[in-house]
Amino acid sequence: MKSKIWQLTSTLLGSFLLLVLAGGCSGGSEKEINAGVFKVGLLSPGPVNGQGWTQIAYEALLKIEKELGAQISYVEVEQSPALFERAFRDYASQGYQMVLGHGFEFQDAALTVAKDFPNTYFFISSSKIREGNVIGVDSDSSEAFYLMGVVAALMGKAAGLVGGVEIPPITNAFIGFTNGVRSIDPDFPISTTYLGSWTDAAAAKEAAFSMIAEGADFIIPDADAAGSGVYQALNETGPGYWSFGIYNDYTSQAPNNMIGNYFNDYGQGLVNLARMVKDGNFDIQTNVEFGLKDEDVIWVKFVEGRVPVDVQESVETARQGIIDSKINTLSPIR
Amino acid sequence: MEPLAIVSFLAAVLAATWRLATPFIFTSLGEVFSERAGVLNIGLEGVMLIGAFTAFAITFFTGSPVLGLAAAITSGLACGLLFAFLTVSLSANQIVVGAALNLVGLGLTSFLYRSIFSGRMETAREYVSFSPLEIPFLSSIRFFGDILFKQNLMVYATPIVVLLGSFILYRTAFGLSVRSTGEHPRTVDSAGLRVSMIRYASVLIGCGLAAVGGAYLTVAHTNQFNEGITSGRGFIALAVVVIGRWSPWGAFAVSLLFGFFYALQLRLQAVSGITIPYQFFQAMPYLLTLVVFVAMRRRAAPPGALGVPYKS
Amino acid sequence: METVEPEIAQKPPSRRSDLKKISFSPRYLFTLGRKMAPPVAALAAALLVGAILLYAAGYSPWYAYGVMWEGAFGSRNNLAETLLKATPLILIGSGLAVAFRSGIWNIGAEGQLYAGAVAATLAGIFFTGLPAMILVPLVLLAGMLSGAIWGGLAGFLKVRFGASEIVTTIMLNFIAIIATSYLVTGPMIEEVGKFPQTAQIADAARLPRILFPTRLHIGFLLAMGVALASYLLLFKSSRGYALRTVGISPDAARYAGINVGAGLMISMAISGGAAGLAGATEVAGLTFRLYQEISPGYGFDGIAVALLANNNPIGVIFTGILFGALRSGSEVMQMNAQVPSVLVSVIQGVVLLSAAALGVFRITVAESRKE
Repeated sequence: MKSKIWQLTSTLLGSFLLLVLAGGCSGGSEKEINAGVFKVGLLSPGPVNGQGWTQIAYEALLKIEKELGAQISYVEVEQSPALFERAFRDYASQGYQMVLGHGFEFQDAALTVAKDFPNTYFFISSSKIREGNVIGVDSDSSEAFYLMGVVAALMGKAAGLVGGVEIPPITNAFIGFTNGVRSIDPDFPISTTYLGSWTDAAAAKEAAFSMIAEGADFIIPDADAAGSGVYQALNETGPGYWSFGIYNDYTSQAPNNMIGNYFNDYGQGLVNLARMVKDGNFDIQTNVEFGLKDEDVIWVKFVEGRVPVDVQESVETARQGIIDSKINTLSPIR
Repeated sequence: MEPLAIVSFLAAVLAATWRLATPFIFTSLGEVFSERAGVLNIGLEGVMLIGAFTAFAITFFTGSPVLGLAAAITSGLACGLLFAFLTVSLSANQIVVGAALNLVGLGLTSFLYRSIFSGRMETAREYVSFSPLEIPFLSSIRFFGDILFKQNLMVYATPIVVLLGSFILYRTAFGLSVRSTGEHPRTVDSAGLRVSMIRYASVLIGCGLAAVGGAYLTVAHTNQFNEGITSGRGFIALAVVVIGRWSPWGAFAVSLLFGFFYALQLRLQAVSGITIPYQFFQAMPYLLTLVVFVAMRRRAAPPGALGVPYKS
Repeated sequence: METVEPEIAQKPPSRRSDLKKISFSPRYLFTLGRKMAPPVAALAAALLVGAILLYAAGYSPWYAYGVMWEGAFGSRNNLAETLLKATPLILIGSGLAVAFRSGIWNIGAEGQLYAGAVAATLAGIFFTGLPAMILVPLVLLAGMLSGAIWGGLAGFLKVRFGASEIVTTIMLNFIAIIATSYLVTGPMIEEVGKFPQTAQIADAARLPRILFPTRLHIGFLLAMGVALASYLLLFKSSRGYALRTVGISPDAARYAGINVGAGLMISMAISGGAAGLAGATEVAGLTFRLYQEISPGYGFDGIAVALLANNNPIGVIFTGILFGALRSGSEVMQMNAQVPSVLVSVIQGVVLLSAAALGVFRITVAESRKE
């Protein structure tokens, strides 16, 4: 008896839903395209207020809003590659002139959608692609990490790197660091740990502790929100152990341990691109790659009084070498 | 490795073991009570997250991790009350309510975190937490000093809490009634005790301790909250209870074992030359649970009335 | 003073009673209304809680829900996206309905989905030369088999070693997810780019689309088919009758000469196979390659979907669409009203809690542990 009732319940519920669906279909119309407004959308791979990677895209968006008066919108499509295409399509069909997919994983979906929307620019972070209106934008962290490597090799005994997940943006940064270290001291020890997580700060902290126990005195995270765990470990261990703030100023988290900060004002870089899109004079024919040469986008700043002058000079030499393309920060490690 | 290096390697791994085991210890101890009384709570992850967030938020606004911890316990008890009301008073399905708690825990903490703290991220990261407390003299003992006497208060608390839990479960009338309720609720009922009250109490203990386990992550082990910071620890605690065979000291030992895997994993990666994928270590607790089931055959029997609602 | 009495299984209904149920007598409608009220009330309660949260956080609940509705049903494309999300939920929910009715608590659909996705991807990458006519079914079959094996493993551990399937399936979830992470960062990583993802599957392995220009693919129809088949199995076949008897009382089933162990293994394999199929349709219909996080938790939502439909596969179609609409609408809500989409987890959780409070899930867990 009961199951039959349920059967009917379902049938009725179903008809109700179908009615609703039908109503929804007929009622819905494609949204009008507001041509006068400059609209920029963001597909974020995680919570926009997470630290590190996802946050820089969000801040970029806010900067575009502020400086160019754009109408902005973002969507967190975390963990769900299946949703990317829809989000791109939704933005494009609402007349967004510029959509940023913040991560290599958005590339497939952008390529698919872009064909149908030739008037929208699809920017893909940490991608090197260029196909029509799909443009890879990479901010090459390996260059900044190279400079950190130089500092570590000149000032420290051993280095530890704590990565979130083993993906190219992280591994490339670490290759840059290693090349920087090797340019000074080929035998300088470097150990690397991947957490397999972007949020597990406790694991990052323990990874840092274990590196300290192993003798490392330069420990640098590249693990988004989890990375703070490294700073906390250093802060607890005390002076004499060093780190760099990654993407932002994290000096306050370990005031005695921060030797400098690597700033990545992706926002400024994107504002530069967005301005071209807005003014209709986007004429870059290749993919976009920010590096130390874009001084308003990527730079490393030392904390006052922590780095001796001779080290600073070596860093400056390396920086010039990178900008002049004399140094390849991504050259393969033997 | 040199002998001396091995000693320092071990000391560091073992110190980390205890710290990484602490959230498992609190959470699984609580779940031992709950399951011993016949209530299976698969919503531990959600309760841990709620505890973690509450502790973080209150500590952030008051500046006192003690208040934060107290608030976390309160939030855990509230979850427990809800869970017990639905599963005990209304005989709702324990799996459903547990699954719902996980959903609500993740959704609610993330939503609140973004609503309250977005825009003040920089300041939100700085607040006082339970910092390591070096015990005079003892902490300078070689090897053992590093492992045992340079931890924070919540880590020190674990054996005491487990001892207390074990005492209550095996040496008090309440403990006896908890254990009987999980095996033969009808007997308990006919002895004039109220099954529902005993289950309420056990669920409250379970959720309260799960919240403590979560709070540990945000006000003791680190001083920050991230969405999903528990990273599946609530589910590992479920495994701990099974492998620890529903006993407080068993749960304590297994928690330490899992903490050890965790610490070893982070440490071995850093030692150059060893190339075991980190995923192997991540999967270890889960694989081990299956192995234990196979190895123990039916001796690993859970409480007889686990998961079965009772109506008097 | 006794444990809750399990409901008594009905015999497979005869043809005649089939016809009878079509009549809409007033009494029938009244009972129907009474039965429908709890799930509807649960949804209302959840939306209310969501509204309070929205209001407290400074959003307009009315506006946010309006945008959400638009996002779920407001256009052909949005409707298609809702159905796309409903597809894995319906597949998983139908399978779980079979498992839950048989009294086995499969919490492992998420892991079974991953197992299916991995196998489907392998098939789609490996057998490139085959025509679509053969390759598409092959990919789906690979996913289904792989999921069935992953689910059957938990069934085997229960039957052979008495291991609680609740615990083992949770463990198997993590193992499958971690193994996938290993595969896509290690052995199965793409050749070019070296991002943690596999190469794309062959063009011939991709599911045909059915509602141009949207992405809705044939997997949705497949899901409807699976729901129907599960329904027929459960309620119109003697095998289903045996399974339900096992679910209600293993002792009675044993007494009636039913092989309880085999029944449990079969229902685990069926639910695992359905979840594996969901993994296969995600890969072959949408993503075309395997990523670390191929599922946003469909396996867990599927549990709710099955239970909310009272483990009736036909009901699952509708609860699946409901949950699909919630997910899909919440994305648009975030895009256009900037409301964090995590709100939808709260709404789903509260739907379950209120439904539990209103007594929707009164099926007792069969005590098959101590066989």
